[in-house]
Amino acid sequence: MIAVTAALVLLPQDPDLAAVRASEQRRVEVVARCAAAVCSVGDMSSPGGGSGVIFDPAGFVLTNYHVVGDPVRPKGDKPAEEVRPTPPEPPHAELEAWQQAHPDAPADERAQFVAAWQGRWRDEHWPTGKYHWHNKKVGLPDGEVYEAVVLGIDPGSDLAVLRLLPKAPGQTWPACAFGDSDQLLVGETVFAMGNPFLLATDFTPTVTFGIVSGTHRYQEGGGNRMLVYPDCIQVDAPVNPGNSGGPLFSEAGEIIGINGRISIGDRGRVNVGVGFAIASNQIVNFLGDLLAGRHAEHGTLDMSCWYMTAPREQTQRRGVFVQQMYKDSVAAAAGLSLGDEITSFNGVHVRSANQLATLIGVLPAHAWVTLGFRPTIGDGYGDERVVPIRLSPLDTGSSADAKADAERLASRENRRLATAALCRQWPAQDQGTGVTFTLVSGTERQQFRRQGERLRVDRGDLSLVRTGRGAGFAIENGKVRDSTAEEAAFLERQFAGNTLLWTSGQRSQQLDGSLLVGGAHVLGAPAWRFALAGDGEIEALVFRDGSPAGCVLRDPLRRQRVELHARSGVAQLIADGAIDKACKLEGPTAGAIADDVFGRPQ
Amino acid sequence: MSRAAAAVAVLAGVLSAQKQDFGAAYSFAERAPRTVLERTIDKLLPSIVKVHGASGLSTITSYATGIVVSDKGHILTLDQILVQKGRTRVVLYDGSVHQAEVLPADDRLRVRLLRVDPAEVEGGLHPIWPKQGDGPLFRTGQCVVSLGNCFRLAEFSEKVSATFGVVVGRANTALRYRLADVQYDGDLILTDACNNPGHYGGGLFDLDGNWIGFNTRLLESKETNTMLSAAIPSRDLLPYLDEYVNGKVQAESPKVVRPVYTGIVLFEPSGRTSPPAYVDRVVKDSPAAAIELRPDDLIVRIDDYSVRSCKEFRDVLAKFGPGAKVQLTYKRGTVVHQAALTLAEEKQ
Repeated sequence: MIAVTAALVLLPQDPDLAAVRASEQRRVEVVARCAAAVCSVGDMSSPGGGSGVIFDPAGFVLTNYHVVGDPVRPKGDKPAEEVRPTPPEPPHAELEAWQQAHPDAPADERAQFVAAWQGRWRDEHWPTGKYHWHNKKVGLPDGEVYEAVVLGIDPGSDLAVLRLLPKAPGQTWPACAFGDSDQLLVGETVFAMGNPFLLATDFTPTVTFGIVSGTHRYQEGGGNRMLVYPDCIQVDAPVNPGNSGGPLFSEAGEIIGINGRISIGDRGRVNVGVGFAIASNQIVNFLGDLLAGRHAEHGTLDMSCWYMTAPREQTQRRGVFVQQMYKDSVAAAAGLSLGDEITSFNGVHVRSANQLATLIGVLPAHAWVTLGFRPTIGDGYGDERVVPIRLSPLDTGSSADAKADAERLASRENRRLATAALCRQWPAQDQGTGVTFTLVSGTERQQFRRQGERLRVDRGDLSLVRTGRGAGFAIENGKVRDSTAEEAAFLERQFAGNTLLWTSGQRSQQLDGSLLVGGAHVLGAPAWRFALAGDGEIEALVFRDGSPAGCVLRDPLRRQRVELHARSGVAQLIADGAIDKACKLEGPTAGAIADDVFGRPQ
Repeated sequence: MSRAAAAVAVLAGVLSAQKQDFGAAYSFAERAPRTVLERTIDKLLPSIVKVHGASGLSTITSYATGIVVSDKGHILTLDQILVQKGRTRVVLYDGSVHQAEVLPADDRLRVRLLRVDPAEVEGGLHPIWPKQGDGPLFRTGQCVVSLGNCFRLAEFSEKVSATFGVVVGRANTALRYRLADVQYDGDLILTDACNNPGHYGGGLFDLDGNWIGFNTRLLESKETNTMLSAAIPSRDLLPYLDEYVNGKVQAESPKVVRPVYTGIVLFEPSGRTSPPAYVDRVVKDSPAAAIELRPDDLIVRIDDYSVRSCKEFRDVLAKFGPGAKVQLTYKRGTVVHQAALTLAEEKQ
């Protein structure tokens, strides 16, 4: 035996074999790390189920909408309250304290106290909206089964987000991060994980390996434009029933997709080497809405296009032409008409109708896009025009529910937890010294300068200064005066909500007491929307990496609802839903600002 | 673009002629390939085309894949989609659509050449040819990538699908030809790189990008409900490709199958789906008369092929040419006899 071992050691190492073993070792390590975040999603009451993946250590799980299934719908006029959590009895300590404070109180007064306490509990723990899901059962590879709350759903492209209920306070879970699915190339190796055929009763995920067979595939949905896969990754890694909702990982172990469907040909409902995963870059566009508990809506131009030979030319040139359009669609409002040729979408040259459907399908409703087109003029086509358009919500089969549940949101507690989880992902950097940026709109220039609690806004002849909470003054044509109520409100709202004025160290502090209300699409990138306390319906917009994306607020000076979108030096100003095309942004730049900027001239 | 800039662009084009960038032809911007597999696929994709035949019959798939085999516009595809003159369209990798001329098929290999007008192809054609050299075409266990438009997932300038696997083995289907569900007579490469409807007509390549196989229909066994992905070894295509692409006339065309004559007339009552091969009568002075075959003899075997019906009798005979000597096994009453039957050529 010793002789044999010695002979094996003495054998020369094959360099190719060594490379293969090293690559295998890397893969084994990545698989082991990823497997910890892959879970099995089931129902509390019925058999069957799918897979999911934890994408945040706070226990947020991504899965397919078709795995979550139908909600418990209200019967008649009665809301389906039976699936909402039942308020517990008030904690013993609180009851004791109340009883000591009111020693002679009659029994009904005590019942009133309990009812009031439970009412407050309901406000915190009950989601809004008409219908809800029973909690799900989620099994993790460590063998533990957790109860999970269904937060947000995206029936349009088959996604849902759940939150695991911790078994101990402050519990965290192993999680995987999202990768950039646009960097995938055909031939790249990937692996799928999940619980196909519910094989693993101890929830150890099944791993299958393959290559990317195709990228940016458009796969139609069922009836009524539900479960559409507008931009999916095609893989030859085996994907089977039960894999639904499970993750597709890149070689580096990043989530690049959620496996949701397969093409089966005539071989029954099993893998034939053609699986489809929802691309991660599409998923992150809807993550804000899903975490906030919303019914995510997809965007549409409300028109259909064909790829065909140019009908108005005597050539064989092919292009994408508008075939059908609603008269009241956003596209029509932007100046498009039947027969126009679509040339570009968000700066991408449009080469086929499928490609256009892919580009639109990954965007949420209300996202601003640019559309390039050549209008029909006489017997031909005019010069290319590029117009900004805000996508309208796509009417899916569940649209009736979507409208009724437009304000469907997760419970305050769940949204507070989501807000805290998102803040935790941002790097805690040094407290910045000061921030300056300038917003140019046509001839109007507004310069914003902030240092600590102080803010100064210069707009032409008018300068507004905030020296502290509720304190400040105005300088108009060189004359110092007290600010009006509108001017003070303007400063307070900008100070609270405009993320461009936040230094990196202040973000978590600025968001203290705020709640996640959904997602937004800001100049081509997904962002979170946080509702801030205070008047003026202030929403702060922050990108996923924590960088500022702008704000939404009622501007008391313009008397308009103003949305400021900013990304890497580009800004978009939308006042009462109308876009200000001439808007430009300079900054924001960090740097100390002299004290006399904020000083009141004598 | 200014004139100077245009000149620079042209120069750059000349300089980079060796390393052509096809990326601009596709719908979505992509990163450059990094691995061997990514580079191989990237290099091969411009040679793979989408083929759309006339639709109308639901039982016949009207789409398949094709491979550009010459800069004269020849495209090889499977002869199992419904092709019809003037109705067959070829979509090149850059999304351009071309009407294709339909050339004669090879009945044995069940492949067919189409031809597009190279003058109409703006982006140029990127032909490939079966792996050259005397070495083995493939080895069992080697890695392969299969390219094709399965389930018609890719349209216009979208990339066709790529699947990855290994060569599982080589199969010679001659013994099972037409007796089981196998519709092909010859060598096949078996692979676990997935092959699906629409993927047929695409190519099987090694990791260096050599063309080693031509994706054919799945080998299917209805008995065991199993399917296997198969490809015709690319070198088996050479006689047909040489004849129609390079104009080399074959010494003996492989697709001319001369019918044989035995003088046996079988008893085939109408209405029965698969009557056993009972002899009805034997023609005078025929090969069958020479071995004294009689009416009511039941033919059960020709060489190693079992004969269970009149149809199988004809199918098996079709595998032999005139002059061949076969061992005929037949049953007379309860006794089994054997005789050597020499096949004659059928007179027109």
